[in-house]
Amino acid sequence: MRYIPNTKTDEEEMLKEIGVSSFNDLLKDIPEEVILKKTLDIPTLSEEELTEKIFKISKKNLDFRFLKPLIGAGAYRHFVPEAVKAVISREEFYTSYTPYQPEISQGNLQSMFEYQTHLSRLTGMDVIIPSIYDGASATAEATLMAMRLTHKNKVITSSLLHPHYLETVRTYTAPHQTEIHIAEYKNGLSDLKSIESMIDENTAAVIVQSPNFFGGIEDIESIARIAHEKGTLIIQVIAESLSLGLLKSPAEMDVDIIAGEAQSFGMDLNLGGPYNGYLGSKMKYIRQIPGRIAGETTDKEGRRGYVMTFRAREQDIRREKATSNICSNHALNIVAGNVYLSLLGKNGIKKIAELNTKATHYLRTKLIETGKFSGFKYPFFNEFVLEVKDKERIKDKLINNGFIPPFDLGTYYPGLEGYMLFAVTEILTKKDLDFIVNLLER
Amino acid sequence: MKLIYEKSKKGRHGFSLPEDQFKEINLKDCVPRYAKEKKEKELPEVSEVEVIRHFTKLSKLNYGVDDGLYPLGSCTMKYNPKVNEKLASIDNFLYAHPFTDEKYIQGSLQIMYELGELLSKITGMDKFSLMPAAGAHGELTGVLMIRKYFEDRGEKRHKMLIPDSAHGTNPASSAMAGFKVVEVKSNERGGVDINEIERLMDEDTAGLMLTNPNTVGLFDENILKIAKIVHSKGGLLYYDGANLNALLGIVRPGDIGFDVLHLNLHKTFSTPHGGGGPGAGVVGAKSHLVEFLPSPIVCTDDGKYFFEYPKKTIGRVRAFYANFPVLVKAYAWILSVGGKGLRQVSEASIINANYILAKLKKYYKPAYDRTCMHECVLTGREYKEYGVKTLDIAKRLMDYGFHPPTIYFPHFEPYAEETIMVEPTESESKETLDEFINAMIKIAEEAKTKPDLLKEAPHNTPVGRLDEVKAVREPKLHA
Amino acid sequence: MGYKVIEGLYYTKNDEWVKVEGDIGTVGITDYAQDKLGDIVYLEDIEKGNKIKAGETLTTIESVKAASDIYAPVSGEVIEVNSEVIKEPSIINKDPYGKGWIAKIKIENPDELKELMKAEEYSNYRKE
Repeated sequence: MRYIPNTKTDEEEMLKEIGVSSFNDLLKDIPEEVILKKTLDIPTLSEEELTEKIFKISKKNLDFRFLKPLIGAGAYRHFVPEAVKAVISREEFYTSYTPYQPEISQGNLQSMFEYQTHLSRLTGMDVIIPSIYDGASATAEATLMAMRLTHKNKVITSSLLHPHYLETVRTYTAPHQTEIHIAEYKNGLSDLKSIESMIDENTAAVIVQSPNFFGGIEDIESIARIAHEKGTLIIQVIAESLSLGLLKSPAEMDVDIIAGEAQSFGMDLNLGGPYNGYLGSKMKYIRQIPGRIAGETTDKEGRRGYVMTFRAREQDIRREKATSNICSNHALNIVAGNVYLSLLGKNGIKKIAELNTKATHYLRTKLIETGKFSGFKYPFFNEFVLEVKDKERIKDKLINNGFIPPFDLGTYYPGLEGYMLFAVTEILTKKDLDFIVNLLER
Repeated sequence: MKLIYEKSKKGRHGFSLPEDQFKEINLKDCVPRYAKEKKEKELPEVSEVEVIRHFTKLSKLNYGVDDGLYPLGSCTMKYNPKVNEKLASIDNFLYAHPFTDEKYIQGSLQIMYELGELLSKITGMDKFSLMPAAGAHGELTGVLMIRKYFEDRGEKRHKMLIPDSAHGTNPASSAMAGFKVVEVKSNERGGVDINEIERLMDEDTAGLMLTNPNTVGLFDENILKIAKIVHSKGGLLYYDGANLNALLGIVRPGDIGFDVLHLNLHKTFSTPHGGGGPGAGVVGAKSHLVEFLPSPIVCTDDGKYFFEYPKKTIGRVRAFYANFPVLVKAYAWILSVGGKGLRQVSEASIINANYILAKLKKYYKPAYDRTCMHECVLTGREYKEYGVKTLDIAKRLMDYGFHPPTIYFPHFEPYAEETIMVEPTESESKETLDEFINAMIKIAEEAKTKPDLLKEAPHNTPVGRLDEVKAVREPKLHA
Repeated sequence: MGYKVIEGLYYTKNDEWVKVEGDIGTVGITDYAQDKLGDIVYLEDIEKGNKIKAGETLTTIESVKAASDIYAPVSGEVIEVNSEVIKEPSIINKDPYGKGWIAKIKIENPDELKELMKAEEYSNYRKE
């Protein structure tokens, strides 16, 4: 077997050193009757056979490299620079373990710290947990965190929270007698009155996604004010983190906890994962936030270095009293996000966020102008909702012409069966968008 | 080393953007007044060359499996085959949007389905969910399934038994799933105390979470009796698959009484750890628990693959479906190794661990002096009298060019203290093990003769021991 | 190793001590406990006026490598909290029986003291 270096002779020598005559002597603790008598029926392929097999299977997918998505809904095809891939393909990053030994893990630890800085500057939050599995599980963790902080068990979520995130919150909170109330939406944005009417003294948090599932830019500041007036925490969910390049930061809007998805920062679509969730909070909540975090310190000679810190929150130390069970996360995507944001820099993040916004508004305007589409009007980032008359025909038309059709809102929103959620990123050129308008007009 | 921020210079950037062709759209009309940013986001300004050099330099401060032996116990740091990386990033997989119609992603679905079938064959379980993102995530999933199973039967069971030798994630996951954790003591042979299980397993107890081989590297010889006790009281048995590398082709957890389990694809199935993830913590269930699996799962009919939503599912544990490229790598590994190779993997890993144990037990008294499985647990107890801690021994190993083993885990009195948990995996040759063994023997001598050398170690790393107390007392969490 | 134990105090199995003066019990953690924890970095604030039962969690203490709950050795109302150690918890490492005291409890039921250990008994209990 090509991945095992030791030969039969090596093994014999080692068994001799161990003091047994055969390998089976090492299995004496295992009850004889449960030891498998037959070899598992799985074929062995050579590297070439394997490659051919998997490439063949991959052909059963569409040729996605050349299909441009008009769909986002929590997973966005942005351009990923080759430099990102080159860095995360270095063995020192992808074959290392969690940085438990900081002296030989400064690469990962410093990268965590730099990425925490990027996100801290984008969001204004003091504490950034750079990796929770994904946006959905980060939202669920944020919910549990708010419940621990307030000792209350009711949460109010906007109906425009990503449906998968909401389902994940339900799964995580199911054992904790949590009441989840869903606030209504109006014209593509959360209804502030509906949220306000639901808050009572038992409410731990209000959870609002912005940009919301429809791409809508919420008035988070007003919602935060309403929540705080009633002694409730506000959690902002950010499923499209690129929006941070353009919009007011959560800290500026007095948000207490953020739960985000950083897929847009250098991660490919990959059928939905691995992406990279993150959490953020005000400093005073650090002991209730789950997940690994890096901090700066020095060694004896005064050299600067980084360690995983505030470790007493974690499962290996606190066991059942830990803030979460999370240990392994999506660490390699921290490096990806760090490289991506370092390449973009201050001007890049702004420009690309602007480009997304403008392209998206361009498409909506042009589609409305055809007179074939209508939809509610609300401020949006890079996604918008339109009513589409002959949905199935449009889906076919788009896919046959090299575009993945928009998300069908009927899947999750009863009453919106005729509506679709369009997403536009910098991948789509003006030429593409004009072509799409022309195609859908006919 | 400088931070990327310390290399920033106004006006530099490392990104190429298409030209803005949307001059007719006025940005001011797009962003509502309440969402206009007040403060600019001060990211660093650096060129692509500088970024590449910065990260290349950072990478050199790390140690990976490709650099050498990485004997972290319970982590299974084996070689990550290169071809698998390539196969996981085939364009048709990489660019697939998760909300594409099933008929357009038949290839991806086929890999998912077939991987589940292979894992069922290897473990003896009936159906897998590939959704959980990591081992702990899989544990939470499995324990939530147990909870739902009893809820569905109208039984109120609020306790979970967990051995003192268990990974910290076991009690943490159980607490997240609303269970009260009841600790079970280990016995003098390193297994769980069967009388304790008999005593503690009652009608209020949902079951037992067990790692087997356990964290002291021993196969629990009473496993069949334990399963009988738990099941006879109506409980369920959870298998923490972190240590499956010992059992491939030898024993199937599904055959020895386990009802639900998680596997770490990033351990046994060779997918890389990525500096702490992403991995995958897939969950396998016996037939009576399949309907509780998180949704969706991948099924097939008539050559077509599709998502199915189990009837009594616990729900979603994340967005979308899985860490897909991790699944491709595990699938590729299983097929490269094959049925025969799987058994060889476990044989080689068991021989390697026992070889280290045999050679080092004179110098580092094992927690239990018995034949081990794929990892051995030594201790650094006897060097305490020279003022040397186990931590010092681990740090000194770095000077010899090795990544240290897991230390201080497992920890339970009186058997497992000052532990050094060594898991060599099948990837290591006898020569490498001999080098490691020699280094450990030298360190044992140094501990007696030059203890200060250990206490000050490591000496040749980019930084020395870092002040963790300062990191908490004077927190600096971003630049 | 010789951990310091003070005569005249009462001790719990979880390594808390209580000093009784009238109906007031001053609570802290022992020298053994602070040594096992190592450098203490955090002590969770306690609300004055809280009514607590013996054995319930009074607060949580944290070092870099460990965290543990501190349990109330006796039942009663928390009438005073040592704000100095909340601010600077490392005082507990330096002076666990003196300046490192944590809270004062108005003892509700003096009979509970009988359940606790005296100095000599505790010394034997933590003899290594």
